[in-house]
Amino acid sequence: MTQTTLELRPLDFYSAHSVPEALHYLADRGEETAILAGGTDLMVQLQRREISPQAILHIERINELRYIDQETAAPVLGGLVRHRTLAIHNELSSYSAIRRSAGLVGGWQTQSAGTIGGNICNASPAGDTIPALLIHGAQVRLQSKAHGCREMPLSEFLLGRRSTARRPDELLTQIALEPVPQRSADAYYKVGRRAAMEVAVVGLALRLTLNEGLDTVTDARIALCSAGPAVYRATAAESALCGARLAAEVLKEAGQLLAASAQPIDDVRGTRSYRLKLLPRLLTTVVNQCVEQIRAKSV
Amino acid sequence: MKLQFKVNGRSCVVDAPPGESLLDVIRDRLHLTGTKEGCREGECGACTVLLDDKPIDACIFAAHAAAGLEVETIEGLNASGELTPLQQAFVDCGGTQCGFCTPGFIMMLTALLRETPAPDAATVREAIAGNICRCTGYAQIEDAVQKVITK
Repeated sequence: MTQTTLELRPLDFYSAHSVPEALHYLADRGEETAILAGGTDLMVQLQRREISPQAILHIERINELRYIDQETAAPVLGGLVRHRTLAIHNELSSYSAIRRSAGLVGGWQTQSAGTIGGNICNASPAGDTIPALLIHGAQVRLQSKAHGCREMPLSEFLLGRRSTARRPDELLTQIALEPVPQRSADAYYKVGRRAAMEVAVVGLALRLTLNEGLDTVTDARIALCSAGPAVYRATAAESALCGARLAAEVLKEAGQLLAASAQPIDDVRGTRSYRLKLLPRLLTTVVNQCVEQIRAKSV
Repeated sequence: MKLQFKVNGRSCVVDAPPGESLLDVIRDRLHLTGTKEGCREGECGACTVLLDDKPIDACIFAAHAAAGLEVETIEGLNASGELTPLQQAFVDCGGTQCGFCTPGFIMMLTALLRETPAPDAATVREAIAGNICRCTGYAQIEDAVQKVITK
């Protein structure tokens, strides 16, 4: 079944080449404008007629937003950094969960076009890079012509399914990450039916920090995608791990709290009950992997 | 709305509405029908083309976002009229049955081999993770790639 060229309502297409140019456009028409970066989500929504903006603001030519800066204590990423760049980037070595998640957003074709800013602003409950960013305490920067810059934690920026705190006249320009403490490791695991897929059955990101004796958890950050209406930090499970010795009962309790925190649905990729069974086992696997990595680094 | 870009080395100008996909421009306006439409949602890879050497799904790429850039389609690989070694390997190894997914695989693998001339099997498999084939079971496709590498 072929869809003929879509008879979309008359639509404006404007390509901005600088941040001020984009902000100027959004100040004027932000309410009726969809922002096009890589377009891997937007184009699907447009073609399915899930959205009908009156204008498309193409921002992908704003080259000044395509940077990875590690000069400061912790990296900052421009909003237009592509998933493929992150996936194969040799730096950001302490942020392997971010690199790994970027390499799992769809296939290579998706990653060539898709951007981290786009992944965040689309705010899909299945957005792969979002859990990895959350566990690293990501802060987003939003810019507008009227109000300049404001920063906010990514956790507060995400409001719900496909809903963010971005105002219509704002552009997400930068993501800042926290430094990684000593004796830490991170990981992102995506469960799915294909090696590359649009949506995860479940995705889990973990950042774990151990004490000097390497037998007790001093910090645990867990974030899930495809387990609820929005990507979220599983704070109850985190608390169960924090300060606890690494033991089977601790992992079991944390796993139960993790499953309890989730609100997965039945969808074409998996059932609610499967996802709930999966979560505790996934947590154990990822915790063990991170512990191994931390111990290996400390040898 | 006017769109100017390069396709297979030649400069093209087309008139396309703002929301139109690169796939529709390639197939319906430029009549280059070697690139196929499979899913129209960026999952199957049948529409893979190279944009400034990067493999993308043309079905979910806004045509106007390609303004001023260079697109390479399956037709562009065979300007001389001969099959590339990779294409010949597909023929030799049975990597093509119905042929519908083949242009997408060829474009994706061409991008891979240009970047990594001798990838290991795991790298090949990861690279084609965004391409679906319903006929071959993929083994013959992987064989074809190995054949080209070892040559």
